[in-house]
Amino acid sequence: MEHPSIPSTQPTAIEKVIAFVDERIGLKQMQAKMLNEPVPGGSRWAYVFGSVLLFIFIMQAVTGILLMFYYVPTADHAYASTQYIIHDVDYGWFLLSYHFWGSTAMVVCVFAHMSQVFLWGAYKPPREMIWLVGLALFGIVMGFGFTGYLLPWDQRAYWATTVGVEIMDKTPVVGDFMARFLKGGPTPGQMTLSRFFVIHVMILPAALMGLAGLHLFLFRAAGPAGPFRGTPEEIRVKTDFFFPRQVWKDIVGMAVVFASICALAFWEPVVLLEEATPDPGDYHPEPEWYFLFLFQLLRLKVFAGEFGQFLGAIALPGAFMALLAALPFIDRDPERNIFKRPVALIGWIVVMVAILLFTVSAIINREFLD
Amino acid sequence: MQPQLKSKVRCTDREIGEVTKVIVDPLSREISHIVVSMNGSGERQVSMALVQAVTGDAVQLRNASSEVAALPPFKRDEYISTHEVEIAHLEDNLHVTPGEVLVPFPELEKNVKRRTFFMNFTHAIGFLIGLPIAFPILRYLMKPMYAPFDNGWLKIGNVSKIKTDDIGFQFKYKKKVKEAYLPEAEVEKNVWILKATPGVLEKVYQNKDMEFRDASGKSIWTNKKDIPYVAFSGKCPHLGCGYKWRQHKVLGQVFLCPCHLSIYDASGKVLDGPAPRPLDALPIKVSASGEVEIIDMEFKAGTKAQVRII
Amino acid sequence: MSDERDSLSPTKIGLGVLWPAFWTALPIKLAFAVVFLAMDLMQFEGRLGLAFVMLLASPVTVFALPIISMGLESHIGEGAGIALLFLLSIPIDIWALNLVARTYFLEKFRKEPPDGLGLTLWWKCAVAGAVFLPLLWFVVSAVTSTSISMAHSLFDMELFHGIPVAERIGAELSLWGGISAGVLIVLLLIGVSIVGRIIRSTAQTARPISESYQHVVTRWDLMRVPADQGLMLTAVTLGGAVLSVLFWASLPVTTPHPHECCKKPEVRAEPPFKPLEALNKDEKMIAQLEGQVDALEKQKAEAEKDKGKGKKAAGDAAPAAKKP
Repeated sequence: MEHPSIPSTQPTAIEKVIAFVDERIGLKQMQAKMLNEPVPGGSRWAYVFGSVLLFIFIMQAVTGILLMFYYVPTADHAYASTQYIIHDVDYGWFLLSYHFWGSTAMVVCVFAHMSQVFLWGAYKPPREMIWLVGLALFGIVMGFGFTGYLLPWDQRAYWATTVGVEIMDKTPVVGDFMARFLKGGPTPGQMTLSRFFVIHVMILPAALMGLAGLHLFLFRAAGPAGPFRGTPEEIRVKTDFFFPRQVWKDIVGMAVVFASICALAFWEPVVLLEEATPDPGDYHPEPEWYFLFLFQLLRLKVFAGEFGQFLGAIALPGAFMALLAALPFIDRDPERNIFKRPVALIGWIVVMVAILLFTVSAIINREFLD
Repeated sequence: MQPQLKSKVRCTDREIGEVTKVIVDPLSREISHIVVSMNGSGERQVSMALVQAVTGDAVQLRNASSEVAALPPFKRDEYISTHEVEIAHLEDNLHVTPGEVLVPFPELEKNVKRRTFFMNFTHAIGFLIGLPIAFPILRYLMKPMYAPFDNGWLKIGNVSKIKTDDIGFQFKYKKKVKEAYLPEAEVEKNVWILKATPGVLEKVYQNKDMEFRDASGKSIWTNKKDIPYVAFSGKCPHLGCGYKWRQHKVLGQVFLCPCHLSIYDASGKVLDGPAPRPLDALPIKVSASGEVEIIDMEFKAGTKAQVRII
Repeated sequence: MSDERDSLSPTKIGLGVLWPAFWTALPIKLAFAVVFLAMDLMQFEGRLGLAFVMLLASPVTVFALPIISMGLESHIGEGAGIALLFLLSIPIDIWALNLVARTYFLEKFRKEPPDGLGLTLWWKCAVAGAVFLPLLWFVVSAVTSTSISMAHSLFDMELFHGIPVAERIGAELSLWGGISAGVLIVLLLIGVSIVGRIIRSTAQTARPISESYQHVVTRWDLMRVPADQGLMLTAVTLGGAVLSVLFWASLPVTTPHPHECCKKPEVRAEPPFKPLEALNKDEKMIAQLEGQVDALEKQKAEAEKDKGKGKKAAGDAAPAAKKP
């Protein structure tokens, strides 16, 4: 709010600096434009996940950069340098565990954010592009998890990556090229580690920052969708501004996520297995928890054999992602109330329950592997 | 038609002032009120419901001037200007300024042919900067992906240690590898060698000599079908685990992989488990004194077709 | 809006208060939980998720959890920190319930919230939880174990012999998981509706308000702004700073789960060095050794003498015995 200035005292130093910058770039107006965005129906805790994701990314970047002070991405030093961080660097175990559990938090929040947008129907016109960019961001987050997992170079890391890349190999036509490109050769080795490191530390962060910026810009251009039910009067009465109300909720959300990741880092700090060897020996390869449902899906007999593996690992998930991408263009009904969209609600529940079931099945299946 | 700023405001009885401000509802983006100057006697906020008609230069209200004067005075403090708030697509929906504000094209930019020429040429140069570097980048990234095969013969031992027919014997050997810039290292590998009886030999060779060719089709080596020694790569074709020779309670003496329980008979044929193809045979040479040599090859795991990768 | 008021079922009311109250109290409890974990005051077993939910879903769990831990021999973790967290949860929950319930009264009931609403609801919920939750725990555990064994034996039947492992696991899990989850959800809803009834009965005697909707919303919105902002800000900042310093001081410098490869060598304290005692002991030992050496030399000299009696010339070579 622009109050007419009634200077009773001389402006303070800070006020002078602000006035200096404002004169040159229109700071005050820019700030007002950024912060005074009306949130129809009022700020909501359900809306915090987008900002929380940004926060988690920043924390991952910070802890990741710190890890790079000691980590060495070569096959002969990766394991030892990671163990050094865990055992010899002060609080290294904590920062590494924070980075590890932060990636889990990111996947959980991505699912929460996508679910919230889906359930609120906020992908419908005119928000189609935000949804598409969001799907790309989802892919990037999964890519982060997959590439980062290899870096400690222990048995778990090496074999999860080997199996994952072999699965990609099953794509027809381009599969062999893609797998060799990622591995940097016919078998996983130093070249693989170097490539995964570059992708994890440079390419994906750049892509994420660019697309996240675009995502935010498109969101601002469309405005928040708001609640899916309520009379216009109810919505008007509760409307407040992005700042400070939604920002307050966002920051409490960030604090909760921060504390949760810290708690997880204490409960289960990162412990490496033995160093990677070309022969898996007794070790049973397994991917990160958020890929377990796919891993278990591929164990079903209906997906056995080369074509079956391609179907289960590439075709089916690919088709599902294509469906999600097409969603804003095939679902043109402006109704956003989830309780009046039975197909959407049931579809969401089915997908979530299926993922949960397959994930838990994969964990149970560990007992049956010998 | 939206009421224009500065247009006159008329009541049923007389003109009361002009439109000094327009108020927009942030959620619906519709004009909700106009603020009337009241000719200096204190601005009043008038709901659009009271507006009967809007023309280019005047707003006609339904009420008498006394009723409008009786409305509560306008409180500027309860509002912020559109410069200080972010409302999506607000400017697109708001047309309250009569006329436009224009900026002249610089003289040089008035020539359309000039603009299009420079735009297209900029695209062309940008493309030409990218083009020469694209190919080197591709080759740069692809360098380690298709390394040529090493077809050298490796001495791995002597067949004198094989005492029985049709039994798998593991020969361990060290292979020197140099990956990129890493110092030369030795990798421990193993093969399983069988002295095969004619029955088993026939199952392995299926009455054909085993030809090993390189990518261009040239023959590297041929395993003759009557040489009784067979060498199997130590890696299981399912996922690459090292397998063993074991006594199975039902199937007898077999090759058994502990990782996912693929089982093969002495000829390498799959008896049980997820293996997609039989055990991979390697080129083998046995000298007169019994010295065994093999060419170390590795094949892609998990595929039905045998595709050499190392 | 008014018809929604009439159709407020106890379950809706219960959910509408418990869910926000849980999340309102959570950030504060979590801050303490992290510090306690750092200070190693609490260690959780495998069921961390369950532990967290139960711990932080107090007030309904505040009395229920000890009952469950003691009576039914279930164990979520160890450490004084757990009890401490529960104790701390009491004032936090009372505050959270107060805030949320007052909001609910204004927004949904359109009634004036009575004084001490938070405390009243807290102890009523705690008692209700203490009775209901152990029951729920017992029933759900029983149903789960029964349905697991039922699913096992079902799929052990001849009919299903050919089913491969992965499919079988999925089918069994769906079966017992569905039953168990269903029973859990139903019981939880019943519990929530009990809480809803408690809240509704508290609202019976409340005075209805006739303010406009905007007024009501503004009222519960401003309820969240503390009367003395400066005090609140200072208190929270200082409290947070204290917790942070505690955290820094107690965070283990090296990993609490070292790997086989890099275990630090056992540090054994050296026995304390007592100079006078050591000196005395050493002197005694030297004296003792001297005596022994003398005795040995005497022996040797006598042996030499005996030999020397036998050999006259050789005796000259006997070296003079030197005292050390």
